[in-house]
Amino acid sequence: MQPTPELLPGTLYLLILKILARGPLHGYAIARRIKDSSEEALEIEEGSLYPALNRMLVKGWLTAEWGVSENNRKARFYSLTPEGRKQLDHESQQFDKLIEAIQLVMRTA
Amino acid sequence: MLRKLRYLFQRKRFNSELDDEIRFHLEMAAEERGEAQARREFGSTVRMREDTRSAWQIRWLEDLLSDLRYAARAFRRNPGFAAVAIFSLALGIGANTTIFSLTMEFLFSQPSCRNPETLVDMRIGGNSDIDRAKYRCLRDAHIFDGLAGSNEEHKAEANWRFGNDTYRLQTMRVTENFFQVVGVPVVMGRPMEPRDGDVVVLSDRFWRARLAADPKVLGKALIIDGRPFTVVGVLPHNHRTVLGFGFSPDLYIPASRESDIVALIARLPHGMSRQAAYARLVAACKQLDKVYPPDWGPGASWSNNVEVVPVAGVERLRSLNILPFAAFFAMLMVVVGLVLLIACANVSSLLLARASSRRQELAIRLAIGAGRGRIVRQLLAESLLLALLGTFAGLLLNVWLSGVMNRVQLPLPLPMQLLIQPDWRLLLYSMAVAVGSALVAGLMPALKATRRGVSAALKLTERQVGQFTLRNALVVGQLAVSVVLLTAGFLFLRNMTKSMTMNPGFDAEHAVWAFTRLVPEKYTTVEQKQNLVRNALGELRALPGVESASIACIVPLNDNWVTMTDVRTDVSEQPIRVRFHGSCAAPDYFRTMGIPILQGREFLPSDRKDAADAVIINENMARELFGNRSAVGHTIRYTRPALSAPMTVVGVAKNSKYFTLGEENPLALYNPFNADAWTTNLHFLVRASRPRDVVKEVARTLGRLDASASIEVKPMRDAMGFAFLPSRVGAALLGSMGLLGLALASIGLYGVMSYSVARRTREIGLRVALGADRGAVLRMVARESFALLGIGLAIGLGISVFATRPLAMFLVPELSANDPVTFLAVVGVLFVVACVATLGPALRALRVDPMTALRYE
Repeated sequence: MQPTPELLPGTLYLLILKILARGPLHGYAIARRIKDSSEEALEIEEGSLYPALNRMLVKGWLTAEWGVSENNRKARFYSLTPEGRKQLDHESQQFDKLIEAIQLVMRTA
Repeated sequence: MLRKLRYLFQRKRFNSELDDEIRFHLEMAAEERGEAQARREFGSTVRMREDTRSAWQIRWLEDLLSDLRYAARAFRRNPGFAAVAIFSLALGIGANTTIFSLTMEFLFSQPSCRNPETLVDMRIGGNSDIDRAKYRCLRDAHIFDGLAGSNEEHKAEANWRFGNDTYRLQTMRVTENFFQVVGVPVVMGRPMEPRDGDVVVLSDRFWRARLAADPKVLGKALIIDGRPFTVVGVLPHNHRTVLGFGFSPDLYIPASRESDIVALIARLPHGMSRQAAYARLVAACKQLDKVYPPDWGPGASWSNNVEVVPVAGVERLRSLNILPFAAFFAMLMVVVGLVLLIACANVSSLLLARASSRRQELAIRLAIGAGRGRIVRQLLAESLLLALLGTFAGLLLNVWLSGVMNRVQLPLPLPMQLLIQPDWRLLLYSMAVAVGSALVAGLMPALKATRRGVSAALKLTERQVGQFTLRNALVVGQLAVSVVLLTAGFLFLRNMTKSMTMNPGFDAEHAVWAFTRLVPEKYTTVEQKQNLVRNALGELRALPGVESASIACIVPLNDNWVTMTDVRTDVSEQPIRVRFHGSCAAPDYFRTMGIPILQGREFLPSDRKDAADAVIINENMARELFGNRSAVGHTIRYTRPALSAPMTVVGVAKNSKYFTLGEENPLALYNPFNADAWTTNLHFLVRASRPRDVVKEVARTLGRLDASASIEVKPMRDAMGFAFLPSRVGAALLGSMGLLGLALASIGLYGVMSYSVARRTREIGLRVALGADRGAVLRMVARESFALLGIGLAIGLGISVFATRPLAMFLVPELSANDPVTFLAVVGVLFVVACVATLGPALRALRVDPMTALRYE
């Protein structure tokens, strides 16, 4: 297993929100999608994925529904709520600002 | 938060769903990378599950629930302890919430109406009622969304002819628009409407009790004051009048007579403040001055003393000037608060005893790393559970007691019915009481149980004597508080016996009171009434067994008519301000009532003609106006509004009670009786050596003279219920609270004594084994108990001396608030209780076999 860079704190929510913005997915697919789109640079531990998903359910950003997966198995699909969409906008802005700030420091210092 | 709460109830389902989800994930991963690899990557599923669940958990709530479950298990193991604690709390909380319900119902209940917040009572020119002409004038000014009027005073009584009998009813006379403006709901038929004519809306009580709940009552006619009134509606059983205080009239009829007077009630337009309403009303009153100039002296205006008051709430109580009532309820609340405090102290000392026997369990938990806060919380959960169960039992008690109070019929001049029902205010209050008592009862024991360090607590036993200062302090506190309660209770019991045996200054044992209400419309001239009175008195005097008969406008201790004015006498130019009870009496009144005339004479038939020229005054008034001079033959005149014609004092009557038994040195003045155009209520009085024997005959005689009149005849002794009411209610309420407090405190004392004896079993065994005689052991145990009693008594009596002082306003003047008999009785009762509470445990201690005691442990 290749070492993965540490996620910035709080960015897991952002990643999940961003990925679900395109449509409902089940937990395994979310992990998969993150891994794929980061070209295997980011790998989400399952041990933190599910607690994060549940915390987001509690906050009301996501809803979950039981459905049938692509290989005909019962799976739990997560989708964004309007509140989640708002949160996504908010968090991605915050994230951009943060990255910009860090880069600014890196360049000038 | 809501989502989390839902989770709390669906934990099982949630867990199985989580399992499904994990299984699915693993299967997907296994397909790609093989099962072993997938499991390794996934890591600990247990850990993950715990993390996921914690996202949903409300930590403190789950802790609390598990603490409560634990406490419930503990109580099931030790039902005796739980039962005593819950019983104590149930009594305390039951008494507390019941008085709370009573207070809320009596002082703060909301009338049955639509949107009470925009409904206001109005008073103009300092008058509580105005006549119909002035009412119409204000109504037609259309300054509010509606202006109605009602009258429930004695002018609103009516005679109801039913079969061959005539009954006096209490009505509420209201303007035709009253039901619309106030929005009074009816349960059957419809409300009264403008242009209805002679219609009547019945109360539920009247409909059930007098008309046997006739389902076809609508459209029928009742003969009221000689005229048929059509029934259009029936009110719901929980109808509360706008007057409040549990007043419960028999029926509502239109105030359509020109002689009717009404108190104003207005519906404010939405959003209009009371200040704005006040300003509009004052402006309208200035207009009213022009149409109906006020007649009560120079400078008078309807716009003076204008009041706009909400129909419910504290402000209304203030404007009605009934703060003494409110004070009585406040005192009751304090008293039941004290009872609850005693109950909490009981539970507290039970918890202390329990904590010391559980010391090892707690010590072990502390030793293996439980935080002190966590253990305190767990112990508090126990007392919370006790308090919740106690509150539940107390609420059952409350519902039962409220039911009893709702059914109580008090001997009042106006019909009253309380409609106490559990409501959200009671629920909130009892929740607060439950949490409060859990804290009061549980905090100290919980802190104390966890204060000692781990090592000290782990030690098996504790033998130091005198360590239980907290428990002792609790018992001393309980005793002190119950001394205060008992003192108040005894004081009111003494007050009751004093007032029942008190000589009211007239002979209540030989007088009979016949209350006759005439139908006003039936008597067109004053002569007709005077004839009726003359004939009635003649026939009554002729009855066998009747010694004398008379008539008066006021029956003492049942009604009053107080005047405050300046009086000028012929012995001094200086006017004297006097406040006196007025009445008028026919010849033979003083003989019939058994009130001695000390100087001068009774009224004579000749006094009757020109009403106000002869007067009789009582001793107090004579002393006030004439000092030590004999008053007879002197004259007095009122100075306001204008100087009146002189009235000659023809006699001085002995002082007696006029309106309440509690009044002190009241002045009184009697005028000769003279029926006038406004007289509708005639109070005939008859003297007989055996009053009960003549009651029927008196009623029949009066009934023969006017069948349309309602007649109620009763011996004077029975008619004094109203006068005894305050002392009886006070004695019943405070006496029972005192007993309750005493019972709870004795349980506490008994518990502490038996616990302390049980703890000293070994020591006592040792003493007996070493040859101590039984008397010495008994003395040793008794010394401890009486030391507690002594301190408790000293503190309690000290507080009582001051605490009972404000009670004087509720007591008859013959009884001082610091009544020595009361204090002696309290000391005696507590002494007996302490003896009983000590003797049981002490005897048990003496029966201890020295060997058993030594082997103990």
